[in-house]
Amino acid sequence: MSRPGGGGRPDVVVSGLGVVSPYGAGTKSFWTGLAAGTCAIKPITLIETEGFRSRIAAEIPAEAMASLGYSRRRSRADRIALAAAREALADAGVPAERAREAGLIVGAVGGGMLEGEEWYLGETRGRPVRSIRALRSILPFSHAETLGWRLGLVGPKETVVMACASGGASIALGADMIRQGVVEAAVVGGVDALTRICFMGFNALKLLDPTPCRPFDRDRRGMSIGEAAAFLVLEEAERCRARGGRAHALLAGYGMTTDAHHVTAPHPEGEGMIRAMRMALDDGGLEPRAIGYVNAHGTGTPQNDRAEALALRQVFGEGGVLVSSTKSLVGHTMAAAGSVEAAATILALQHGLLPPTANLERVDSEVPFDCLPGTARPAEITAALSNSFGFGGQNVSLVFTRP
Amino acid sequence: MSGSRVVVTGLGTVNASTAGGRDALAGALALGRSAIAPVRAFAVDDLASRLAAEVDEATLASLVDRDAARRLSRICRLGLAACVLAVRDADIEGGPGLGLVVGTEHGDFTSSRDFAQGFLRRGAAGLSPMIFPNTVMNTMAAVAAIAIGAKAPSITLNQSTVAGDLAVARGARLVADGRAEAVVAGGVDELFEDVYRRLSQMGALSPRMGGPSGEGCRPFAPDHNGPVLGEGATFLVLESPERARARGARVIAEITEAAWGNVPSAPYSAHSRRIDRGSPVARLLASRRGRPFARCYGAGNGDPDVDDWERALLARDLRGPSADLVPPRSLAPLFGQHGGLGALRVGAAALDTERGAGPVLVHGIARGGCRTALAIGAAA
Repeated sequence: MSRPGGGGRPDVVVSGLGVVSPYGAGTKSFWTGLAAGTCAIKPITLIETEGFRSRIAAEIPAEAMASLGYSRRRSRADRIALAAAREALADAGVPAERAREAGLIVGAVGGGMLEGEEWYLGETRGRPVRSIRALRSILPFSHAETLGWRLGLVGPKETVVMACASGGASIALGADMIRQGVVEAAVVGGVDALTRICFMGFNALKLLDPTPCRPFDRDRRGMSIGEAAAFLVLEEAERCRARGGRAHALLAGYGMTTDAHHVTAPHPEGEGMIRAMRMALDDGGLEPRAIGYVNAHGTGTPQNDRAEALALRQVFGEGGVLVSSTKSLVGHTMAAAGSVEAAATILALQHGLLPPTANLERVDSEVPFDCLPGTARPAEITAALSNSFGFGGQNVSLVFTRP
Repeated sequence: MSGSRVVVTGLGTVNASTAGGRDALAGALALGRSAIAPVRAFAVDDLASRLAAEVDEATLASLVDRDAARRLSRICRLGLAACVLAVRDADIEGGPGLGLVVGTEHGDFTSSRDFAQGFLRRGAAGLSPMIFPNTVMNTMAAVAAIAIGAKAPSITLNQSTVAGDLAVARGARLVADGRAEAVVAGGVDELFEDVYRRLSQMGALSPRMGGPSGEGCRPFAPDHNGPVLGEGATFLVLESPERARARGARVIAEITEAAWGNVPSAPYSAHSRRIDRGSPVARLLASRRGRPFARCYGAGNGDPDVDDWERALLARDLRGPSADLVPPRSLAPLFGQHGGLGALRVGAAALDTERGAGPVLVHGIARGGCRTALAIGAAA
């Protein structure tokens, strides 16, 4: 296939970042936590966990939720999405009139399911919740409805449901809109709050580690779930420059592929992952050696980490790149993971500091990479790649470079 | 549309009227017989709403391999069957160049309910690891991608009312931009008892406001009183005309433009006081330099608020020779409202243009403001 978009396509920069994470509200607290290598995975407080194998997750602290200032009548996911998207727009400083024309692409899976579950449990246990407001925000697209309305956006609006690759896909599709000249700017990102169905489901699949997850460790036993929202403002580079805006990074390229192999398991040799990474590099016109750091999907499940390591070896060669997993710090934030980790990758580029993989003590012999155990490492890199993979064999790789 | 041109070379549908490729849909449209009938799948005696457009289970069973059917939920079988029919209709093969875009409003709620009920009955021990993956809305795409060998981007879009047409628009963009050589794009939803019951109890379905005409799907009519739900899946195969020509495919029509936008409005509301600056119809008309459309399909489904909003939005955009296209044609009275209906509208428009009807506008608007517009023309 020829290089997408063709010659002369506009460059796309990231001019705004907004994050609500298990470290708290705001990009600053997110970076502080990552740089310190603080693992935010703790006992769950939001939902009942009695009788389950794993009872931990990375929750957004209650005081951070309270600080957002939004009514509790909104779903938890809507509240963090609004806060993150507003922070990203404010950070970008796009003039209000231009911001109104922006596209909006939201990666989502759980929707307002946390509140929907409370309604459903009340109904089935004979204690009906009087308000049915929860049902109106239960579907994933409700976040885009809320953001589109509250931010007053008139550009194209989409809700992408691609499991754990949703947030990464939202960034890729937003970039395409700008490259195609459909919009000059786009608000893109993912959101997921903790839900019972997700917690119970991954427990049922025995994919959750009872202790905080240990991606790439020889003794890893699964992942830890988390919750977050992360949004980016993408802009056509030339227009950003012309208005005097500051670019955090250039979104040099992306690759998006499907394994078409199994509904839940990744391709055992990482075939789709390899194609996604190579496609992203090709899209950005970069050789593998140009990439100094990979923010891995790195869930901590035996299957994912093995397949991803195989794929990384194919693309970069053994030890050919520094690798770490943000999920060891803030958990697997599901639909938000792709955009949370894109934000982590961009901040690493900006600060010249690579966030570590927490809880990594004995690196798996099948992972022939320096996975930055325990402590963040200074590194002046110019390009980095972020991987997001998901159920359904969905693979998204994003390449960011310094602007 | 910027980038490569995009043509439709295949169509697959499983709906309450028919199942098959382009000929099956053309036959159902020519017959014009409504598939709306009393609900068979579950009891509705205690509800004000009692109608739906249901897919015959025997028809669906005949389309999906029995072994596969045993491990797939019903909505996955609907999506899978329509995708396979579309690929067969286009005579196209899978591979790294084939993408997939699936639009859905409700996804697999049946599996979510079954998963939750397992927990309610037996606690943690009652949770099924087999059912859980189906609760993630992209499972229909995962199942279909494996079946048709779609290894390029596989995207699931969640949206009310216009999920199918939005998916086709996104699929067309993927082809135009070279992100995939060909894309299977469309929508799917199933009739789910809990959603039907709740919507009926909330007054969101006909006969929402009562009236002498009683229950029925009457888009844009003075006595419209709510939508009637349907179910099914419709998918189109999209590719560049050069690729279609090279492999000797029979082109049905061309998607000359595809755009979508947002009319800022409160979630689930069907009105906006703000100016619709991002009108996708206006963008389409601008790119057509005023050339009028011969026909227009709309998303109006009998929901009075949506019908009236769509009529008002189109009346503002379609002036001069196109003004008499308002109100637009609706296919909801034939097939019922479901996530595949938007793609079915695009399919109908493609078949119209193949028969020489002239350029067709396929318009969509959903509560909450998601608005779509596709221009369909005869293949050059």
